[in-house]
Amino acid sequence: MIEACVFATVLCGFFGLILKRNLVMKIIAMDVMSTGTIAYYVAIAARGGKIAPLASNPEATLARGAFADPVPQAVILTAIVIGFSIQALMLVGVMKLAHDNPTLETEAIERSYRP
Amino acid sequence: MSVLTNALAEALTPLAEYVPLLTVAWVALPFSIGFSIYLLPQYDRILALGVTLVSTLYAALVIVGQTPQTFELLGSFGVTLAIDDLGSYFILTNALVTLAVLMYCWRTEKPDFFYTQVILLHGSVNSAFLCADFISLYVALEVLGVASFLLVTYTRSAKSIWIGLRYLFVSNTAMLFYLVGTALVYRATNSFQFQGLADSPPEAIALIFLGLSVKGGIFVSGLWLPQTHSQAESPVSAMLSGVVVKTAVLPLVRCALLVPEVEPIVRLLGVGTALLGVGYAVFEKDSKRMLAFHTVSQLGFVLAAPLVAGFYALTHGFVKSALFLVAGALPSRNFKELNKKPIARSLWLFATIAAASISGLPLLAGFGAKTLTMKSLLPWQVVAMNVAAVGTAISFAKFIFLPHSDEIKAPEQVQRLWPAMAILLGGLLIANGLYPPAYSFANIAKATATVAAGWTIYHAIIKRLSVKLPRGPERLEDLLGTMSLTAVGLFLLAIYVFSNGGYVQ
Repeated sequence: MIEACVFATVLCGFFGLILKRNLVMKIIAMDVMSTGTIAYYVAIAARGGKIAPLASNPEATLARGAFADPVPQAVILTAIVIGFSIQALMLVGVMKLAHDNPTLETEAIERSYRP
Repeated sequence: MSVLTNALAEALTPLAEYVPLLTVAWVALPFSIGFSIYLLPQYDRILALGVTLVSTLYAALVIVGQTPQTFELLGSFGVTLAIDDLGSYFILTNALVTLAVLMYCWRTEKPDFFYTQVILLHGSVNSAFLCADFISLYVALEVLGVASFLLVTYTRSAKSIWIGLRYLFVSNTAMLFYLVGTALVYRATNSFQFQGLADSPPEAIALIFLGLSVKGGIFVSGLWLPQTHSQAESPVSAMLSGVVVKTAVLPLVRCALLVPEVEPIVRLLGVGTALLGVGYAVFEKDSKRMLAFHTVSQLGFVLAAPLVAGFYALTHGFVKSALFLVAGALPSRNFKELNKKPIARSLWLFATIAAASISGLPLLAGFGAKTLTMKSLLPWQVVAMNVAAVGTAISFAKFIFLPHSDEIKAPEQVQRLWPAMAILLGGLLIANGLYPPAYSFANIAKATATVAAGWTIYHAIIKRLSVKLPRGPERLEDLLGTMSLTAVGLFLLAIYVFSNGGYVQ
């Protein structure tokens, strides 16, 4: 069920990217998509009825047996940071573009910059 | 030659245990130096040159040392790096192309920002060539995306910003799909290693290959590439086209070699890409767009024969960067106008040597690379790849048959071109010695016939034709929409390949 919701989020973001005309809306759609992706990693790692592994006390963790998988969350942290910085960069670019193209409609921009 | 390399390899054996340490230091160097350039702007060129020379030395050591190694940092869930014969060619390409670009820019008044970005790009490309697990590769590819964006847009004109934004949209969306694919691989195998692809569901393969093929400009997903590469400044396009796109191609090749089940997919992508790219390149009238389309087609050649991908990538990297630098010095970008007025002889000479190599004429490295690739093709690929080779000859005839004369004074860029060309074209001549068995009568005859056929077609048909291919598929929405189609196509392909035991006849 959670998985279905996660994929719905990813797809919503993707369709937003295609269908929205405004550049800022496109960037927001991309953010929705990346939220979906991040949620998928969290969903994969989440397991009920298990303990959290603690690096400070590995013996006790191993002795208790079943522990949740920390790897996907650790990995996705990097992706969150990267996604956030790329979005910041894109927004700066859009701000610069807005001087010449106040509407920020993709079609109009593409038409004016076609070689 | 081989006695010498063996002696060198023996002399380097004691170094083998330091390989992980050296490698990590070498990966970290461009990033630390790159940011130091901001602090010491007066030494920007020297610092950049130093990093590139260290890279060249490292690549040479890896090629001579012949010690393929894979090692894991921070345990089995950490970063996996692989140094092997295949990757070493790519690393050498990166080092020499960056060196040539720096030489070309040496006497221009480029800001320190430019050198910082070039070195960061160089470093991220290096790390992408080394990574052997999906997550480190993701990080390397994203860093590289940001560095390329900043290089494309560093002139800050509104047009270049739009081109850069378009690139970020496309590549970031593709990388999100790639991340979902990586999560599927992890769920199936509990690891991020490339080998895990064998036990993963087909949708994981489809999503990961979608991400890589967009990033690497492969098949229809690569249609973002011509506009980006042709709008950037010449030195930047030389780096983007020469090495940066190969960062996504190498992982595809690695996957194909590690996981035999996906090899047919990679080979098929290679054939499709080679034909699509060359189809556009033949009819293109703009020199830089033609070169960019041709990059797409050459990546197809690299993918079509995964085993020998390294050598082909090396020769293509040299040729493409040389031609982009030359195209930047030509008086016009339109071939029609170029055909009306002669160009300086030195420029023509540079372009012709590079074009002869990529067309596969003997005595240059392109001949050996093409022969080697053609030999490693599967039977079902041969016809298509030969058609693509003829198409290559046709598109580069546009450069070779440009009118030229001694009386035209060369533009001032030519002086800057000389050192860069010495590195790139000299590299082509030296690399020619890497595969001597290519020089048999049959191979030479075949290469010459291919080129002759291409030139005849060029003079008989293409030169008089003026066909404008639609540019609709290059719109942003279409590029994004194509991704979903590509994903479905790759998914069906993966299901088909797996149900047939990994062999497409």
